Amino acid sequence: MTQPRIAVFARLANGNAAPTRVITGQNTLLGRTVHGLAYDSARDEIVVPNALADAILVFRADAAGAEHPVRMIQGPRTHLVTPHAVSLDQQNREILVASLTGKRINVFRDDANGDATPVRVIEGPQTELGHVVGLAVDPDRNLLAVANTHEILIFNRTDNGNVAPRARIVGPKTGITDEPWQMEFYNGRIYLAASNHFHDNLYEGVTLKPDAKEVPDDPWLNPILGFMGVWNITDTGDVAPLALLRGPFSGLIHPVGLALNPKDGEIYVSDSVRNGVLSFLVPQFFAQQDLTKLSDRQAKIR
Amino acid sequence: MSKTLFASLAVGFLLFTLPSVPAQARPQESQSGKPASEDIPPVRMIADPYPAFNGIAVDPAHGLVAMSDPNRKSLLLYDRLRGTSKGSLSVPIRQIIGPDTFLGMIAGIVLDPDHQEIYTANNDIEDTVVVMPYSASGDVKPARVFSVPHQAWGLALGEKADQIAVTVEVQNTIVFYNREVKGVEAPLRIMRGQQTGLADPHGIYWDEQHNEIGVANHGNFRGVVRNTGGGCSPSFIADDEPEAGESRPPSIRVFAADAKGDAKPLRVIEGSKTGLDWPMGIAYDRQHDTILVANNGDSSILVFSRNANGDVAPLRVLRGDKTGINHPMGVAVDPQKGEIWVSNWGDHSAFAFNSGAHGNVAPNRIIRSAPQGTPTPGFGNPMALAYDSKRDELLVPN
Repeated sequence: MTQPRIAVFARLANGNAAPTRVITGQNTLLGRTVHGLAYDSARDEIVVPNALADAILVFRADAAGAEHPVRMIQGPRTHLVTPHAVSLDQQNREILVASLTGKRINVFRDDANGDATPVRVIEGPQTELGHVVGLAVDPDRNLLAVANTHEILIFNRTDNGNVAPRARIVGPKTGITDEPWQMEFYNGRIYLAASNHFHDNLYEGVTLKPDAKEVPDDPWLNPILGFMGVWNITDTGDVAPLALLRGPFSGLIHPVGLALNPKDGEIYVSDSVRNGVLSFLVPQFFAQQDLTKLSDRQAKIR
Repeated sequence: MSKTLFASLAVGFLLFTLPSVPAQARPQESQSGKPASEDIPPVRMIADPYPAFNGIAVDPAHGLVAMSDPNRKSLLLYDRLRGTSKGSLSVPIRQIIGPDTFLGMIAGIVLDPDHQEIYTANNDIEDTVVVMPYSASGDVKPARVFSVPHQAWGLALGEKADQIAVTVEVQNTIVFYNREVKGVEAPLRIMRGQQTGLADPHGIYWDEQHNEIGVANHGNFRGVVRNTGGGCSPSFIADDEPEAGESRPPSIRVFAADAKGDAKPLRVIEGSKTGLDWPMGIAYDRQHDTILVANNGDSSILVFSRNANGDVAPLRVLRGDKTGINHPMGVAVDPQKGEIWVSNWGDHSAFAFNSGAHGNVAPNRIIRSAPQGTPTPGFGNPMALAYDSKRDELLVPN
C-alpha cells in the first residue's frame, strides 16, 4: 500500500529510526505483497518474491538504491503462481516458494535464474495446501514444515507432486486459528509468527462470490490475538507451543514477520497493527532445557 | 469491539514509547492478574509514532487538503492555506482515527465537494473503500463502506457519471461503482484484459472535460485470464496455471472514461524518455491541460501534456533538494489557488507548489505530520523479516 522496498536497519535500531539503506525503485523490479524474505549467508544474497509479476528476485546482500537483481526466476517453466513467500534450505542449496493462490510449494536450486524449471513442486488435493505462507526446512531430519491456513503441516523435505503431509500440528491447544505467517527453523524447532488475523475476501478475482452478503469486520480487529510460538518439528496433533511470546506487554497484536538471531539470543517480529518491528531478548527460547521448563509453566497457566 | 479493551491493551504499552494503535482485542491474561510468563516486553521496537502521508486530495471550495495515513491508520484534514513555520508539526483541522473507523492500510483518497464526503481505499486485506463525511472526527463509524477486490489502490470520482473508479493491483483491473455504493455490490463495469495493458495499476484520474481516465502502472503483470486468484486468498482453481509473469516498463495509460472490458487505451506514455519510475498518484491539471505524476522512484513530479503519446519526455520535471520532494506517493491539483500538492512518503510532509513550477524550486507551503528532520522507518505493513548475520542487520520489506 506504500512504497515497495527492502529497508535495512542496524540490529540495535530503535524507535522511529531511519533505515541505513533502502533497496527501492523501478529498476529493482520489486513489488508489493512480500510475505517472506530470506538472507542467504552462504551466497551473501537476499531472496525476495514479487507476487505481482510471478517472479523471485535475488539481490546482492549489500545492495542499495535502485539496484537491479542479480538473478530473477520468472517465466512459464517456473510454474510460479503469485509467489508471495520464500524460504531457504542452505544446507541443500534450495529456494522454497509458497503460493497461496496456487496452493503449492515450488522448490528451485539456489542458483536458478530466468525461466527455470523447479526441481520439485508440492501441489494437489492430497497435499491439503491452502493458505500457505511460512516454510521451514530441517535438513538433518529431512522435514519440511509449512504454515498452512490454520495449522502447521509437516512433509518430507524431498516430497514431490500430490503427496499427503506426514504429520500436522493443529487444534485448540496450538492457539493457531487463522493464517499462520512467517516461519523459521533452528535446532530441531520451528518458530512461527501466528498472526490470527482473519481475511474474508468476498471476491474471486474481480467477481463477487455468490455467497457474499455483508462487508466483513475489519480483519485487524480479530479479537483472537496472535503470538509467536515454538514447537518441536517432530510434534504432531493438538500440541501447545513449547514457548510463547504474546500479551499486552509483548506489544504483539497480529504478528506476521519473523527472524531469528540465536547468537545474540534475539527474536525479531513484525506486527501488522503496530506497523513496526519488535525485538525480543529471549536466549532461553534457543535452549533445549529452558524450553521444557517454559512449557511446564504454560501448562500450569492453562 | 469494546472500547474498554483499548485501555486494557494499552496498559502494557505504557512501559515503552510506542505508537498508539487501535487496540481492538482482548489480550490473553494470566488468571492471577500478573503478566503471564509469555508476556515478555520487547527490548526494542522500530515504529513511527507519527502519521505518514500516502494519498492526497484537495477541495478548494471547502478549503481542505486531506491525506491518507496508513502508518497510524488515519485520515487527516488540514487548512490548505496554512503551512507550518520553522519546521514545526502542523495541527490538522481534524483527524479520523480509531477502531470504529474501518481505516487500515489506506492508499488512494478523493474528496467529493458536492456531497462533502471523503473516500479512501484500504489496500490490504480489509478489501474495502471507506466513505467518511467531511465532519467526521476521531473514532467514528464511516458513512458507508463497500467491498472491493483485494489490493485496491487508486480512486477517482466521476461527478457527471456519478461513479467511482477503483484500481486493483494484482488483478490488473479498474472496477467502477455507483457513487452511492454501500456494502456488497457488484461493480457496474470492469476494465480488464490484455489489450488494456494494465499492469499493477496505481493512481487514477477522471477528466470529465475530455471524457478520459488516466492510470499509472508499475508494470508488474501476472495475467488476466488464467488463475488470477484472489490475491491473498487461495484460488478456487488451483490446478490452473497463470499466464507467465512479466516485469513490464512503467506506463501511463489513458482510456475513454466510459470504456469497459478489454478496452484499448487511447494513448500510452511509456519508454525510457518518459522518466517514469514507479508512478504512484496521478492527477489532471485542467488549467495547463497536463497530467501530473508522483514519480516515487526518483523523487520527482513529472508533468506530461494530456495528449502525450508514446516514448515522450515530460514537459516539466519538479525535482531537487530545494523542492524537498522525497519519494512522493500522491499529487493533487488546486485550480482555485493555481497550486499542486505533493505528499511525501519519505519525511512526514506535504508540499504546495505553483502549478507551473519546474526544476529545483522551493514549495510555497509545507504541512508536516512530524517536526522537520524526524526520521521515519517508512513501513507499510512489513509482513516479512530477515536477519543478515554477516552485517548484523534487519531486512524489512514493505
